Amino acid sequence: MRWASKLFLRLKSLLRRNAVDAELGDELRFHVERQITANVASGMSPSEARRTALREFGGVDQIREECADMRQVNWLQDFAQDVRYAFRLLRKSPGFTAIVILTLALGIGANTAIFSVVYSILLAPLPYRNPSRIVVLNETNPKVGNVSVSYPNFLDWRDQSRSFSQMTDVHQIDFNLAGVTQPENISGYAVSPNFLSMLGVHPYLGRDFNPSEEKSGTAPVVLLSYSLWQSHFGADPSAVGRTITLDGKSFTTIGVLPANFRSPDKTDVIEPIGVWATDHSDDIRDRGERGDSVVMARLVPGVTISQARGEMDGIAARLAKEYPTANDQCGVRLQSIRDVFVGDLRPAILILFGAVLFVLLIVCANVANLFLVRGATRTKEVALRIAFGAGRGRIARQMLAESFVLAVLGGILGVGLAFGGVRGMGQLIPTDMLSGATISLNGMVLLFAGGIVVLAAFIFGLAPAIHATNPDVQSELKEGGRTTSAGTQQNKLRLVLATAEIALALVLMAGAGLMTRSLYRLLSVNPGFRTDHVLTMEMDLRAQQYSTDSARRNFWQQLLDRTRALPGVEGSALGTVVPLTDDHSRGDITIEGMPQPRPGSWPHPDYHKVSPGYVSTLGILLLRGRTFTDSDNENAPLVGMINAKLAREFFAHQDPIGKRFMFGHPGEANPPKWITIVGVVNDTKLYGLANPSRLEVYVPFRQLDVPGYMNLLVKSAVDPAALISSIRGVVGSIDKNQPIFAISTMDDLRSQSVSTRRITLILLGAFSLLALVLATIGIYGVISYSVAQRTHEIGIRMALGAQHRTVLGMVLGQGGKIALIGIGIGIVGALGLTRLMASLLFSVSAYDPVTFGGVAILLAMVALAACYVPARRAMRVDPIVALRHE
Amino acid sequence: MTKPIDLVQGTLDMLILKTIAPEPAHGWAIAQRIRQISNDVLQVKQGALYPALHRLEQQGWIKAEWGESENNRRAKYYSLTRAGRQYLDREHANWERLSAAIGLVMNTA
Repeated sequence: MRWASKLFLRLKSLLRRNAVDAELGDELRFHVERQITANVASGMSPSEARRTALREFGGVDQIREECADMRQVNWLQDFAQDVRYAFRLLRKSPGFTAIVILTLALGIGANTAIFSVVYSILLAPLPYRNPSRIVVLNETNPKVGNVSVSYPNFLDWRDQSRSFSQMTDVHQIDFNLAGVTQPENISGYAVSPNFLSMLGVHPYLGRDFNPSEEKSGTAPVVLLSYSLWQSHFGADPSAVGRTITLDGKSFTTIGVLPANFRSPDKTDVIEPIGVWATDHSDDIRDRGERGDSVVMARLVPGVTISQARGEMDGIAARLAKEYPTANDQCGVRLQSIRDVFVGDLRPAILILFGAVLFVLLIVCANVANLFLVRGATRTKEVALRIAFGAGRGRIARQMLAESFVLAVLGGILGVGLAFGGVRGMGQLIPTDMLSGATISLNGMVLLFAGGIVVLAAFIFGLAPAIHATNPDVQSELKEGGRTTSAGTQQNKLRLVLATAEIALALVLMAGAGLMTRSLYRLLSVNPGFRTDHVLTMEMDLRAQQYSTDSARRNFWQQLLDRTRALPGVEGSALGTVVPLTDDHSRGDITIEGMPQPRPGSWPHPDYHKVSPGYVSTLGILLLRGRTFTDSDNENAPLVGMINAKLAREFFAHQDPIGKRFMFGHPGEANPPKWITIVGVVNDTKLYGLANPSRLEVYVPFRQLDVPGYMNLLVKSAVDPAALISSIRGVVGSIDKNQPIFAISTMDDLRSQSVSTRRITLILLGAFSLLALVLATIGIYGVISYSVAQRTHEIGIRMALGAQHRTVLGMVLGQGGKIALIGIGIGIVGALGLTRLMASLLFSVSAYDPVTFGGVAILLAMVALAACYVPARRAMRVDPIVALRHE
Repeated sequence: MTKPIDLVQGTLDMLILKTIAPEPAHGWAIAQRIRQISNDVLQVKQGALYPALHRLEQQGWIKAEWGESENNRRAKYYSLTRAGRQYLDREHANWERLSAAIGLVMNTA
C-alpha cells in the first residue's frame, strides 16, 4: 500500500521536521567525508581535498531547502509562519484591523443569520420518510380558488388513481379540552388510518391506527402530540391507555407522537377518520360538503409530480361530468409538501438572501479598498523583499494569509452577531408563519458561515495581493514619486470598487423603496371596517348542553348583554367570521326570481351570522336600508343584509331592499326558507387587504341555525387588551368550562395579514441602510485618499492661481463621477432585478420611476455629502506646504 | 573528458533506481556507481542527487534505512520497493522506445 507509507512519510516530515532535517544533515556530512577521502586517495593533500569537496558540494542550505520542498511540507510550514506574521502586522495597526474585522463581521453575520432562515424553511429535511415524494392535494373552484376535498371525492380519487402508493384524507378539527388550569381549545387532524405510516412516522409511545378505524362507529381514540402529552399528562409514560376529555367526550389515548413531528397546521391531537365520521355522518356522504380538509399522498417511485398532476386532472374532469351539482368545474391542485410548508415565503426569503449577498459584496469591496491603501504603503517593503529573492507567489500567499486571518476573526465576530440576529428574527417572525421550523445556528449554517469566510477572504484579499506583487512595483524602488504607474493603476481599481459599491447600494435601496411604497399602499387600503380599538376572540360551544339551538342562542345573548354592560365597552357584537383571518364560510344562495344558473355557477357568497351590533361595532358602512335590531329574533320573519358587490352584480338595476334569497338550492329536501333583504352594507376586505372583495351576505344569528362557534367583537374607548380579563370573567360566569381562544385586536390582525411583506421590508430596509452606510464610507475613503495623493498637484494648481472653487469642483467632480456612474449602473441592474420581487409588491410597478428617482437622488446627495469633507480639506491646502512636500 | 551532461529529472530518477536495483546503496555510492559505469560521462551533483532521492522516497519508489557503511560510519541506505521495481521496468521500456526512435530519425541520412 504505497499510499499508506507515503502518508506516513509526509506526516513524519511534517511532525518531526527538526529530526528529519538533522538526518539530512548527517547524510550530507557523510557524503562530504567520503568525497574528501576519495580526493585524498587520488592524491590531494587533506586540506586541499577538503576545500575541493566542500566547493563542489555547493550550498548545503539550498540542498536542504530543495529536499524539504520535495517533501512538500513547506506549504503548511509557510502558512503557519504567514499566519504568525499576519497577527504581528495586524497588531501593529489596530485601527485598520478593528475596522476591517467589524465590517466583515457585519457582512458575514448578516449572511449567516439570513442563511439560517433559508435553511430552516427551505432546506432543512422534513421529519418524514422520503419527504420529496409526499404531495398534498386539494380541490379547486374557478370562482373561489382553492377549496377542501369532500370525502366521497377523496374515496374516488383513492380508487381511481394509480400515481400514488398511499393516499390519506386529512381533516382539520378542533376541540375544547378540559385543561389543567383553564379550559383550552386545541386543534388537530382527523385522518385516514394510514396517515402516519404513509409519512413514515412512528409513534413515540403506544400504537398507530388500525385500518379498521376508518369506519364510522370507531371507538374514540386519539394520538397526542409530544407537547400536549407533556403539558396535559406531565410526560407520564403510563399515559397510554388513559382518557382525555375532548368536547365533553372521553377519548382513549393510544399513543404519543414523536417530539420532532411537524405538520403544516398546529396538531395537538390526531384521531382516526372513523371517529370523526361517527359525528359527521352526513358530511361524510355529501359530495358537495367541503369542510376543512386536504388529501396527502405518496407518489409511486418513478412517477413525477407533473405526471401525477396530469392523472388527477383527468380524474377530476371525469368526476365533474359525473356529478355536475357537486363537482362542476372542480379541479385539483397538487403540490409537494415542502411547498405547503414554505407557503408564500419563498420569494421573500430568496430576495432577502440575494440582498444580504449584495451586502457582503459591498463589505468585501470596502475591505479590499482598505487593503489596497495599506498595500500602497507597503510597496516599498514588498519591493525590498522581492529584491532579496522572495518569490512573488510567496509574498502574495503571505498577504492572502493576512486576509484569511482577518476573515476568520471577522467570521467569528459575525457568527456572534448572527446569534443575536437570529434571536431578533425569532421575535420578529410570528411562530405560526414557520409551521414548526426552528431558526437556529446549526451545523449546516455554521458550515455556510465558514464557506462565506473563505469566499470573502479570496474576494477582498486576492486583488490587493496580486496587485502589490505586480512587477511594476519594482519601479517603486527606483522612482521616488507618488505618481507611479502602479499607483494610478491602484487608484483606478479603488475607483472601480467605490463605483461598484454605489451600484450595489442603489439596487438594494431601490428594492427597499419599492417595498416601502407597497406596504404603505397596502396599509392605506380601506378595509371597509374599523380596526382600531376592537378586540376579537373566538368561542366554540361543544359541550353536550349546547346541542340545541335555544341553548346556544341563550349563551350568545347572555354573552352579548353582559359584555355590553362592562365598563369601557362601547359596543359588543358577535360574528361567525372575522375579517383578515383564514376562517371563511361560503355557500350557494338562490336569489328569488333569478334565472336558474348552471350547476356549479350559483352565487357563492361568504355568509356571516351576526348580532345586531356587528355592523356598527366594526364600523362597516351601511349604504341602504337598515341593519339588524334586537327584534329580528327567532320569532320574527327572516331577514338578511347583502354587500355592495352582491348588489352590483345581481341587483344592478333594481333596489335589493325587499327582494328575497335563500341558502342552498330550491327543491332540496327542506322547504325553501326565503330571507328578505333589509339592508346593503359596504364591501369589506374579508380575504386580506391585497385581495379583492367578495360577495357577502349577513343574517341574524338568532334566526335559522344558531352557530356553535362565534367571534366576540368588543369595541372600547381604551386599550382593548385591558378588557380581556373582565371578558374572561363574563364568560366564566356563564359557563366556567368554556374556553376562549384566538384573542387578538383587529389592529394586530391587520398587521399580521401583511406580516410577510412587513418583515421583508424591515430586513430589506436594514440591509439597504447598511449598504448605504458602507458605500458612503467607501466613496469617502476613495476621495479622501485621492485628495491626499494629489496634495502636491493641488498645491501647484493653487500656486498657479486656481481658485478654491476650482479645487472644490475638481474633488466634487471626481466624487460626482463615481456616484453618477455607480447610480447609473445600479439603476440598470435594479431594473433587471426588481422584477423578481413582483409578487411581493402591491399596486407598485417593479419599475416605479418615483421610487427609482427618489432613491437615486438620495444616494447622490449622500455620496456628495461624503465627498464634501475631503473637498474642504483640499480647499484648505496651503500651496507652499504642499509644494515643499513630496 | 568531455563536459559532463546535465541530466533531466526523469532520467536521473531512472538511473538512480537502476543503480540500487541489485543492492541497496547510500547516496555517495549511488553517485560513484553512476559515474563509474558511465565512464565519467554522467556526474551527478549532490544538489541534484539528494533532492531526487527525497522525491523518490516521497513517491514511494524507494525506501531508506540507516545502516553501517564500509568504513563503520552511519549512512542512509536506499533500496528499491516493489512498486519502484515496477516503475523502473516501465521507465526502462519507455526509454528504450524513445532512444530507438530518436536513433532512427538521426540515422537517416
